[in-house]
Amino acid sequence: MSEPLLSVENLKTQFFTEDGTVRAVDGISFDVYEGEIVGLVGESGAGKSVATSSLLRLVDSPGEIVGGEITFKGETIFGLEEGAGGEPQPRDDMLSEEEMRKRIRGREIAIIFQDPMESLNPVFTVGGQLREFIEINRDLSEEAAKEEAIDMLREVGIPAPESRYDEYPHQFSGGMRQRVLIAMALACQPDLIIADEPTTALDVTVEGQILEMVRDLQEKYDTSFIWVTHDMSVVAEICDRVNVMYLGEIIEHAEVDDLFYETKHPYTQALLDSMPRPDRTVHELDPIKGVMPEAIDPPSGCRFHSRCPDAREVCREVHPEPRDLSDEGEETHSAACVKYDAFEVGYEESRPIETEATGGFSAGLTETEDGE
Amino acid sequence: MSSPAGRRDRSEALLEVRNLCKYFDNDGGLFGGLTVDREFPFVSRDPSNVRAVEGVSFDIKKGETLGLVGESGCGKSTLARTVLRLLEPTSGSVYFKGEDLATISGEPLRRKRQDMQMIFQDPQSSLDPRMKVGPIVEEPMQAHGMLDEEGREARAKELLEKVGLDPQHYNRYPHAFSGGQRQRVNLARALSVNPDFIVCDEPVSALDVSIQAQVLNTMQELQDEFDLTYLFIAHDLSVIRHISDRVAVMYLGQMVELADKEELFENPQHPYTRALLDAIPVPDPRSGGRTNLLTGDVPSPIDPPSGCRFRTRCPVLIQPDEFDMSEPEWSAVVEFQRAVKRREFETTDRREIEQRYFDTVPAGDAGTLVEDALSHIADGEWDEAEDLLTTSFADASVCATENPAYEVAPEHGDGRHYAACHRVREAAVATGAAADLDAPGGEAVGELGADD
Repeated sequence: MSEPLLSVENLKTQFFTEDGTVRAVDGISFDVYEGEIVGLVGESGAGKSVATSSLLRLVDSPGEIVGGEITFKGETIFGLEEGAGGEPQPRDDMLSEEEMRKRIRGREIAIIFQDPMESLNPVFTVGGQLREFIEINRDLSEEAAKEEAIDMLREVGIPAPESRYDEYPHQFSGGMRQRVLIAMALACQPDLIIADEPTTALDVTVEGQILEMVRDLQEKYDTSFIWVTHDMSVVAEICDRVNVMYLGEIIEHAEVDDLFYETKHPYTQALLDSMPRPDRTVHELDPIKGVMPEAIDPPSGCRFHSRCPDAREVCREVHPEPRDLSDEGEETHSAACVKYDAFEVGYEESRPIETEATGGFSAGLTETEDGE
Repeated sequence: MSSPAGRRDRSEALLEVRNLCKYFDNDGGLFGGLTVDREFPFVSRDPSNVRAVEGVSFDIKKGETLGLVGESGCGKSTLARTVLRLLEPTSGSVYFKGEDLATISGEPLRRKRQDMQMIFQDPQSSLDPRMKVGPIVEEPMQAHGMLDEEGREARAKELLEKVGLDPQHYNRYPHAFSGGQRQRVNLARALSVNPDFIVCDEPVSALDVSIQAQVLNTMQELQDEFDLTYLFIAHDLSVIRHISDRVAVMYLGQMVELADKEELFENPQHPYTRALLDAIPVPDPRSGGRTNLLTGDVPSPIDPPSGCRFRTRCPVLIQPDEFDMSEPEWSAVVEFQRAVKRREFETTDRREIEQRYFDTVPAGDAGTLVEDALSHIADGEWDEAEDLLTTSFADASVCATENPAYEVAPEHGDGRHYAACHRVREAAVATGAAADLDAPGGEAVGELGADD
């Protein structure tokens, strides 16, 4: 395959709080190639949003990117080197704040957030906001930008765009607002769009419309997407490749079909099993036991071992890095689980351990029970 | 207490809702409903109502779960609140155990609330952050004068255990709990006064899928144990399919279909239900994605479409009798009419539009009308073209002129299957008010939409 458009190596983002260091993103690596939709999926608290903000260097204090490398089209968005005193310092070729602001954000990499109401300014007209964005980023005159803005609104399926141009965000429905944001993201024809749960707040019917539109537009403009979501159905529908995150780490990565049909990691499997199905009646759901632990004090070894049905002693001790488990000639399919032979840590001989699976509902607040 | 089989007992209706309407004033405030005009009298006042819920009737039997589903803004929550009399109904009645809640108020109503509880969507904001969970669970008991202080504490602890929390969490504040656990506290609080009926307004939509499954399982266990009746509101059809016995589908303030769960999912009759079912994403990359997506947005409930409210987006709108077009021709006309209404295209070039929407322009009257509309567009008279197409095609359909209400014979199970769509009129076993449920005590049911 050709060079990736965006490449993330061992990215680490931490938040330094009074209670300790929260390792929100802890060494994730993934690539995005031209013209594909890469999924980033996980439950709340998995670190999906922190990861995407890190890509644009939008993490604010007390958070900080503390390690790793982000390369976009051959340019270094983030990279560290060892300084004089052994302290890590930004590399010389890392883009400056100004370059990020003026060249990358919006123009090269655009981002769409979950809540369209919060992303639009309520006191300016929708058209005005879109026009301003195009005017600044594409150096067009006001009239040309307005024309372009109206074209974009029509492109994303806003009815009667000339008259809607002068309306305010509150006069738009949720789905319409999200369409406007997609228009805004596409307006500068960026190479990469990061979509952070853009359809989560929408109804399924509207979600379907938006996903269909995104697919059409993606074909037309050949834009790459990073699609952040917690919804496996959306992943199944729109993504080409998927990264599954759990507690700051990517624990499985595969082509979308492999992920659903050749699931490797027990967490991914559990996530799929816990979903109610629309196409058949299920009498008892099979939930994942317990709740996700805090990123401030993650479990030792494999971070999922505390909730894993397949956990053994060795899982508590060995921290697995994702490894490619696919057969030769197949697409890469990596997972971070020691139960596969490739890890060679003696999983088979290890003793199964009691997990929170036995703690039932009160898991996550188990100290009172465990203390007795 | 009843056995788990008690859930299937269909004999007794606990709640009967008849022709319930709830309108909201749209002209509140000092300048509400005022419009400024350039001509005399310069200012006009146009009082209008948001018709959030209109003419809704259904029964909930003891021990069953009625799922209520619909898109945001269709009036699900308003209906739930009106049923509990948290909102005053504009008209209609709600019989709870035979007594009409719409007519009582004050202390009798407050006492009635002991039997009806509600669980809200956001587990965070429905718990007082400054109260510990023990007192939170005890508060409804105190309000209804149940037990003494010690008894309440013992019951609170027992309930915490029942909903899957540790009784020792009695002294914790809500912030110490995760979202799923907070929703369990809400469950315990609702259960504390030993209600018969619980309205669950999107109780799991704020939770992660894995946690959602845990809470849904607990809710089912509690239902079996305490013989609870749920009105379960959700926008997620997968959740609805999992938990409900019967399912009601709402669109723009009206109920469009109501049937047993299997029947509704396997044999949906209303095009809106079908569209909703088609729109559910399936967690399977080989499923081929969603098909037959609806176009357009939900119309405003201030001025909803006449007749069937879904007709402006319906993929199978019925052709008016005066025309004799083939199915593809009629579909093309409908698509063209909607495209003009939405100003979907810019071009005024006749040939181009014709090619885009029609293989062949239909013959006869319909063809003449389309030609006229195309001429209007060519002259830039969009409004005239829209009016012409809308009045001669969309508004002439039976879907626009008559309110649909039919009952069809079910294919799955033996429950009644109500579908408000004129497409089923031939197969219907009952129509109009008869398809609706009969009012208890032989009271006449008002004509649907009589106050138009």
